[in-house]
Amino acid sequence: MVEPKDIKEIKTIIDLMKKNDLSVFEIEKEGFRLKLQRGPSAQAAPVAPSPVAGQSKTAATTAEAAAAVPKTIESVQLKEIVSPMVGTFYRAGSPDAPPFVDVGKTVTEETVVCIIEAMKVMNEIKAETSGVIAEVVAENGKPVQFGQVLFKVR
Amino acid sequence: MFEKVLVANRGEIALRVIRACKELGIRTLAIYSEADVDSLHVQLADESICIGAPPSTESYLKIDRIMSAAEIGDVDAIHPGYGFLAENPHFAEVCESCNIKFIGPSSQAMQAMGDKNAARGAARKAGVPVTPGSDGIVETEGDAIKIARKIGYPVMIKAAAGGGGRGMRMAHNEPSLQSAFHSARHEAEKAFGNDQVYLEKLIVNPHHVEFQIVADSHGHIIHLGDRDCSIQRRNQKMIEECPSPLMTPGLRKKMGHAAVKLAKSVGYENAGTIEFLVDKDRHFYFMEMNTRIQVEHTITEEVYGCDLVKEQIRIAAGEPLSEHVAHATPRLHAIECRINAEDPARDFQPTPGRIDFYYAPGGRGVRIDSHVYTGYTVPPYYDSLIAKIITVGATRINAIERMRRALDEYYITGIKTTVPFHAAIMRNGEFRSGNYDTGFIERVMSSGKLDLRSRPIRLHE
Repeated sequence: MVEPKDIKEIKTIIDLMKKNDLSVFEIEKEGFRLKLQRGPSAQAAPVAPSPVAGQSKTAATTAEAAAAVPKTIESVQLKEIVSPMVGTFYRAGSPDAPPFVDVGKTVTEETVVCIIEAMKVMNEIKAETSGVIAEVVAENGKPVQFGQVLFKVR
Repeated sequence: MFEKVLVANRGEIALRVIRACKELGIRTLAIYSEADVDSLHVQLADESICIGAPPSTESYLKIDRIMSAAEIGDVDAIHPGYGFLAENPHFAEVCESCNIKFIGPSSQAMQAMGDKNAARGAARKAGVPVTPGSDGIVETEGDAIKIARKIGYPVMIKAAAGGGGRGMRMAHNEPSLQSAFHSARHEAEKAFGNDQVYLEKLIVNPHHVEFQIVADSHGHIIHLGDRDCSIQRRNQKMIEECPSPLMTPGLRKKMGHAAVKLAKSVGYENAGTIEFLVDKDRHFYFMEMNTRIQVEHTITEEVYGCDLVKEQIRIAAGEPLSEHVAHATPRLHAIECRINAEDPARDFQPTPGRIDFYYAPGGRGVRIDSHVYTGYTVPPYYDSLIAKIITVGATRINAIERMRRALDEYYITGIKTTVPFHAAIMRNGEFRSGNYDTGFIERVMSSGKLDLRSRPIRLHE
């Protein structure tokens, strides 16, 4: 239940976002999670990767790249695990198996986070970063393209 | 007919293929690198999949990723365009084994003509004249000297695995042959992973005349006349015209017959081009075959009244040659100028960057094949071709005057282009006379007499 005092707080955050030209604001505390995003949603999968040459592969949308500039108040910087290939994304090794990772799971660089199947070959994809899975972005059983965001890691 | 086609290319040819598919009611899937996410063909395709980072080796040459995209997209066929994987027999083979139709010849035909030395052998067998040279690979320096003494200098040492103007060395006498032979082999090994070379007599300042071949899967093979591509700089074509100014009905008959005979002998299917060198006495010699659609297919389309890309798709889908193609006759004269993102005043240095304003000419008899637009950024990773402008006229001089008129309207700012260069060539006496050869561009550039100032029209500030 969102209380009136919360709405006032949210309005303040929105104003601050506008003033500082922020696109995304996310906060998580005590079982409460809020994400505010300005403008049209940039999160529909598959996401077209940023075309700007030289930009890091882990920034998939320009909106999030803008939000990653740390002049913000209480915005959380998330790392991204992106697809290194073209194929179909699977969360587990087989249909009956449990998913490799879930939100809250701690990963290291070597942790296998998913499978991407290409031409009948199951490729195990490693996290190549360390942290805690914050979001599962790609959809199980759906195609993914090169550079597409699979997971967000805190 | 196919339901969905994957376009394994980029730029203007990807757009060309997508246009043909749309007109045939076929759904399209574009694959693209991160540098081409804003590309026009990607936006116009029904679906698109990003397959890699900007460098070609990381994207457009990645067979596994392209096939993966083809699988995801559930396509029936792949059109390879030109360049990239278009003449890669392994890619054609992979498509065949995945039961996806490769829009082009079979991998065997591609292999037979792709090895430039083997292609000469096939030509000889088919009774097609070839430039005097070695009858195969030249193994030793001693052999090279013997052959050169027989055919006479100057000679060209060519890589068997080369092509498209690459992997060639010239030698004017015996001492230079000795060093050129070894450096050519070394270069070939590095560039193509194959150090095999053969020798060919160098015909000084020849004309480059090529014949368009179209063949269906029912054994019907025809040619659609000639194109003159002698206007080249460093073995890269700049201007092409159809028909060739030095063609006579008798010569066309002889060369066309030879081209069809050769294509038949290797069981060729779909579109291809046979390139000849023609010397001052109108003797013609087979040079090489390109087993793909070519950049300059456009001028043949205008003169013969056909859509070659649509015909490629129809042939690949198993249909016989269209009636209007099988019975096509040449009418009118067409010229194509390749507009590159290069600065002609600075030795054609590439000029990638943002096109601030783009206005293309129009009017009767003007065709523009281009993927660029105002605000488009030309990426630095690929070739510099940004547009092809084609003009058609009742006579050759009409086509030239129309091209001159159209180029003077062509307005591209933000980057330097070769528009002013082409505008100057259209005004050049030697070009206008039709009496030019492959040495023409070299001569005209070193004469320093070309007026490269653009004729600005103020459309936008």
